[in-house]
Amino acid sequence: MTKSQLPHIDKPLAGYPHMPPKSNPKHEIITKAELSKFSIFPNCTIIWCVAGRGGLSLYSPKLCGSFPNNKIHQARPWPGFPTSKGLASFGDANCMEQLLVHCANAIESNDATLAQQILWVLNNIAPPDGDSNQRLTSAFLRALIVRAAKSGSCKMLAAMANAHRNLSVETHTFSVIELANFVDLTPWHRFGFTTANAAILEAVEGYSVIHIVDLSSTYCMQIPTLIDAIANRFEGPPLVKLTVPGVPKDVPPLLDLTYEELGSKLVNFARSRNVMLEFRAVPSTHADGFASLIDQLRLQHLVYAEAGEALVINCHMMLHYIPEETSSPLPNTNSNPYTFQPTSNPSLRTMFLKALRGLNPTIAILVDEDADLTSNNLVCRLRSAFNYLWIPYDTVDTFLPIGSKQRQWYEANIRWKVENVIAHEGLQRVERVESKSRWVQRMRNAEFRGVSFGDEMVSEVKTMLDEHAAGWGLKKEDDDLVLTWKGHNVVFATAWVPG
Amino acid sequence: MPVEVDNSSTVSGEASVSSTGNQNPPPKSTVKKKRNLPGMPDPDAEVIALSPTTLLATNRFVCEICNKGFQRDQNLQLHRRGHNLPWKLRQRSSKEVKKKVYVCPEPTCVHHDPSRALGDLTGIKKHFCRKHGEKKWKCDKCSKKYAVQSDWKAHSKICGTREYKCDCGTVFSRRDSFITHRAFCDALAVESAKTQTNPSSEPDPKVQAADSLPPPASPPVSAPSAVTSSDMPIQSSGKAHNLRILYLVSFVLAEDPSIVVEKAPAPALAPAPAPPPPSLNGSCSTSASLISSGCSSNSGVFSSLFTSSTVSASIRPPQPLAPAPPSAGLNGSCSGSISLVSSGASNSSSSGVFASLFASSTVSASIQPPQPPALTNLIRADLAPSTSIEPISLCLSTSHGSSIFGTAGQKHRQHAPSLQPAMSATALLQKAAQMGAAASNASLLRGLGIVSSSAPQENLQWGQAQVDPDNASIAAGVGLALPCDGSSGLKELMMGTPVFGPKQTTLDFLGLGVAAGGNPNAGLSALIPSIGGGFDAATAAASFRGGDYTDKDIGRSS
Repeated sequence: MTKSQLPHIDKPLAGYPHMPPKSNPKHEIITKAELSKFSIFPNCTIIWCVAGRGGLSLYSPKLCGSFPNNKIHQARPWPGFPTSKGLASFGDANCMEQLLVHCANAIESNDATLAQQILWVLNNIAPPDGDSNQRLTSAFLRALIVRAAKSGSCKMLAAMANAHRNLSVETHTFSVIELANFVDLTPWHRFGFTTANAAILEAVEGYSVIHIVDLSSTYCMQIPTLIDAIANRFEGPPLVKLTVPGVPKDVPPLLDLTYEELGSKLVNFARSRNVMLEFRAVPSTHADGFASLIDQLRLQHLVYAEAGEALVINCHMMLHYIPEETSSPLPNTNSNPYTFQPTSNPSLRTMFLKALRGLNPTIAILVDEDADLTSNNLVCRLRSAFNYLWIPYDTVDTFLPIGSKQRQWYEANIRWKVENVIAHEGLQRVERVESKSRWVQRMRNAEFRGVSFGDEMVSEVKTMLDEHAAGWGLKKEDDDLVLTWKGHNVVFATAWVPG
Repeated sequence: MPVEVDNSSTVSGEASVSSTGNQNPPPKSTVKKKRNLPGMPDPDAEVIALSPTTLLATNRFVCEICNKGFQRDQNLQLHRRGHNLPWKLRQRSSKEVKKKVYVCPEPTCVHHDPSRALGDLTGIKKHFCRKHGEKKWKCDKCSKKYAVQSDWKAHSKICGTREYKCDCGTVFSRRDSFITHRAFCDALAVESAKTQTNPSSEPDPKVQAADSLPPPASPPVSAPSAVTSSDMPIQSSGKAHNLRILYLVSFVLAEDPSIVVEKAPAPALAPAPAPPPPSLNGSCSTSASLISSGCSSNSGVFSSLFTSSTVSASIRPPQPLAPAPPSAGLNGSCSGSISLVSSGASNSSSSGVFASLFASSTVSASIQPPQPPALTNLIRADLAPSTSIEPISLCLSTSHGSSIFGTAGQKHRQHAPSLQPAMSATALLQKAAQMGAAASNASLLRGLGIVSSSAPQENLQWGQAQVDPDNASIAAGVGLALPCDGSSGLKELMMGTPVFGPKQTTLDFLGLGVAAGGNPNAGLSALIPSIGGGFDAATAAASFRGGDYTDKDIGRSS
């Protein structure tokens, strides 16, 4: 490539963000780029300042052909992009979000050049080991590249992505002790554990047999404290039946134990507390709305409901995996428990909640992340995810030191989530988190009635939050409790009884 | 308060003073009895309401010349003298100063009501900070937060003293965290297995005690304390003077120093005649804990089991003098994974058994009696079964007593070259297990099971029981699992110590092991599911509980 083919540079402006390429080639999207700096012209055109001849040499000669040099001189208006005045805050979250949105748009509209340019900028302003906003952006950046590579709309990106196998997120497989520690680091899960356990304990008062269905993404990490509390209750310990969905382990956190091993540990623990525990894992998957689990529970319900057994449904950050789209007709209708389903072909999510309601549970707890990541529109989802997933990045500094193993696992799990939201579609996209208001609506539609968390529970949760960083807070909205970080909703907890 | 200052007149417009004539306070006697009972003010007291700003202002009285602030007007007055400004010190009047009480500025607070006003300014300040203020003092250790600095200081002094400790060594400051960990920790599984193995002894109080959660104020349950409880039978049997007691040293290493708490050797563990002073010099990159020791009067069993990539150790054998406490020294320099020494030492003349097993780049185990040093190499099948008197040796290579019973100066013990170097540690152990199971003679190594866990890390569990050919008594076992996983450092530790003896001796050095009741046949069955063959009551049994070696580990160690 001759010099004349290089992007023409009129006059680099001094004082604009100057970001030499990161020295760590592992995270470089453009590894061999000798990109010395880039500049943003006030007229909102992006111009590459390439030092020497190596600037574009990162692309294989074949790919260079698709680099439309003629376009580089054209001014590209970037709506929403900061003007020269705002460039001082070039690295702030708003700008990064804008860049990501433009990048997503470019990828969706097949504009390889623009996408590539933005990716380049993003890569330079958002190193994966930067501050929390930069790491967040970096996660989205990777996710966008994966998406571009998957869709194949952007051949150059696909090639780049393929050349960088490290783009795939490697999530850690936890040992059970590691996971217990991990979950304990932050109120993200503990908030739900504490509220749910308190509400469950109150609801099952007086019952001598308690059947707990634990639909939890944390592999029963909530159960020991619940068993412990139940063991100490006034009227003596009940018989506890614990049913969990034996879901395929493809969603982090991953655990290296089988459900059987997990169950035997729990049974063992319960015995040490003088609680009889029966553990059962029913193989089922969120993909079909836990159909086989629901089937089993229905059978059980017929047998035991009359016997005065309390049925507790504990949904901890699991229901958002159930697809929310209108279900396509299942191939095998016999296995479908939702046979009563009428009219309008509702979503699996709706059907699942109705099925739950049909079990007439003593109490149902719904704890989930308070965000909306279900949109079909990539940009909507990106914005929504960007404005929610900054929180785990922002909080991590308060409980995990930089460079620690646990922090790597923690951030890998967030990156996995980002990638799932951004890069995947269809059933593969399981991180379909919905907002609290949406869930409340769903529960009400399924004829559940919300119950309030008592003052004692609230103060219990407050005490728990006091054990964590100062940014965590608790909000009471109507009947529900909401965990907040610096005032932003993080996780909500709701309790329901058949209406 | 050293100086009684009348602030009320100088309080700015933010403060209001009201008369308290119409209050209806509780009986005065209550007030006098309980000074701090909040909200029982003197009915004659003046009620003062300060705004939050005024209340929290540290230096309300500011010098107009130099802007220096003072907490008290009197101090400002003294300061003004330096500027040659007019100043006025209030003379303490001979009349009794009118008592003042303070209400909380927060309208929703119960102490906002004059009838629940607090008696002193500092009190209301602290109350306001604690209940309605920001908690800006954070404990470094447990991240509890306090609004009042003095509360934080007080907490900092006691923080860490109330903690929960799992038998695996992990310490928790929160009960919830401890319970969750406890439920999934292998330490509990071992303990439960112990309870089950010992059905005759109903709910074993020791187990209950160790297992039940301590109230926050009580000392934490720790492995040493469990040891303490379980060594009682040792002492009683020690009086029988007929008993071989075990000397057990175990090393616990973990990659993550923040997880494993370093514990001094349990001083409470004083089994039998005299406690042997264990000396442990570990130059390890990680932390170590020395768990327990025991000695007896009859014959000695000294076994050590090392698993590490590099281990150098010198072990001084027990002194041959009868009642003198044997001492054991272990100088381990471990580069990484685990090292465990279990030794039973005695001082009689009958026999001493010294066993060591190294599993790592070189694996060797030998139990050597000083007199007739008959060595049995289990690898050679023809030698495996032997008489009940004959000591056992499980090894790739055996070394003579001189090299093992080295003096203190012998710091580096060379691993004897393997007879079958190609054999991996796992293969070795498996082979030994088969042979142990196959051996008809009950006095031999009974079984060696490899209990595999699904953890992919280096994770070893060793259990060992020694045989006493004299039928006199005890065998000792040590099981230890170590987290060597470089990526986690969080692996739990697990130790089991199965002990058998006709005298119903129960040793549980680590508090996590398996206790054998009066019936030796109760055995290790629960613990060692992979071992075939029962236990002969007439003889003791030795078993190894093996951990899993992943291919990776084998590859690294061989």
